[in-house]
Amino acid sequence: MEPAEAEFLAEKELVTIVPSFSMDRVHLIGGDLGPFNPGLPVEVPVWLAINLKQRQKCRLIPPAWMDVEKLEEIRDQERKEDTFTPMPSPYYMELTKLLLNYASDNIPKADEIRTLVKDTWDTRMAKLRLSADSFVRQQEAHAKLDNLTLMEINTIGTFLTQALDHMYKLRTNLQPSGSAESQDF
Amino acid sequence: MAEAYFPVGPGLGPEENFLSLDDILMSQEKLPGRAESNLPRLAFALGQGSGAGSGDSIPEVTVGGNYNSRQAPRGAVQGGQRRSGAGHAGSARRGRGLRGAERPCFHRRYCEGLRGSKLEIPMWLAKGLHDSKRRLISVELPKIYKEAWRTVFSADANVVDLHKMGPYYYGFGSQLLNFDNPENPEIAQCILQTFINRFRRIMDSSQNAYNEDTSSLVARLDELERALFQAGQKGLNDFQCWEKGQASQITVSSLVQNYGKRKFTEMDG
Repeated sequence: MEPAEAEFLAEKELVTIVPSFSMDRVHLIGGDLGPFNPGLPVEVPVWLAINLKQRQKCRLIPPAWMDVEKLEEIRDQERKEDTFTPMPSPYYMELTKLLLNYASDNIPKADEIRTLVKDTWDTRMAKLRLSADSFVRQQEAHAKLDNLTLMEINTIGTFLTQALDHMYKLRTNLQPSGSAESQDF
Repeated sequence: MAEAYFPVGPGLGPEENFLSLDDILMSQEKLPGRAESNLPRLAFALGQGSGAGSGDSIPEVTVGGNYNSRQAPRGAVQGGQRRSGAGHAGSARRGRGLRGAERPCFHRRYCEGLRGSKLEIPMWLAKGLHDSKRRLISVELPKIYKEAWRTVFSADANVVDLHKMGPYYYGFGSQLLNFDNPENPEIAQCILQTFINRFRRIMDSSQNAYNEDTSSLVARLDELERALFQAGQKGLNDFQCWEKGQASQITVSSLVQNYGKRKFTEMDG
């Protein structure tokens, strides 16, 4: 899966906006989008929020976790723990990128938030690599990692699965092979 | 998903993948061995022209001995003296105008067969000729799979330049397990442990080197590890490209760009 596909999936998450136009309830296949009244906050999926923002028809309200103190707490806890801490949103990286690119004027201290999220990302990737290395070293058959997000899995996925494939084949070499099934003539 | 070509990977087990380019190149690597029975008239095919030469060199047999001797006066004097006597393989090395003398000795070795002589044959040939019942050839382990190098690998696998030691260390080693050899379990274990020990370094270097010249990082990796390195690089590059916003920009496909036909300004005039 490519990062753009993960971003596409992330755009289904709900975010609060304050529209500046009015419209009745819209019925879409995925669900209803509630009536829009100017000045009244309403929850919509991110794809619609970005679109309306680009047309200057709404104002975005940042999600509760996109706040400097909260993100600092999350970052510090991530650094303390050895395992992965649950993230406020399974798509935190994609949402950060989308919201900070298109609606940075609605989000206070956007640059600091970007830095904090990047720090958390780096810590989590380092933990992921460490656990992948110990997985390979001990030649385990299964590993369980909680609280990983899709984007992290994507970045390391191809490499890790190929390496584990090779390791598996080399490991089956250790067993003495059965009788020769190839054609003898 | 967006790729046009999915290459067949190398089979790392006792059987190689028929369609894998990596395996084809790997099986061309040479293996030292000895001929156990007479192989008449096959000397030139098995590279006996110069003893330790490559497997496909055909030794020169020039027909005009006199022609050569005219060009090298000193050689001609020696050639004249020696042509009177019977030529042997040993004297063939001493002068240049000895083509005529070589001919009878080459002919003798050509028909003699090779029992007991050392050979360097490619892996595909060794696998084909290997048969525990007919005993045509016997293979020895290349030095990198022997005891001495195995201890080097177990001490620290990261320092070894696997590209120099045969760029197909893992594949070739897996193929070696086909030949019955009492050391096979140790070889298999050593290959596995080497891979595990080097994994960390490949992962770190491939996931952290963005937009840099990576030639120094891949110089010491063998082909299997290089493929892994590229997979890691691709993951990293895709992520960085997405983060910069380039993933949603429409760019010219590299195939079309190479045609050189995209000259709108000229056409529009």
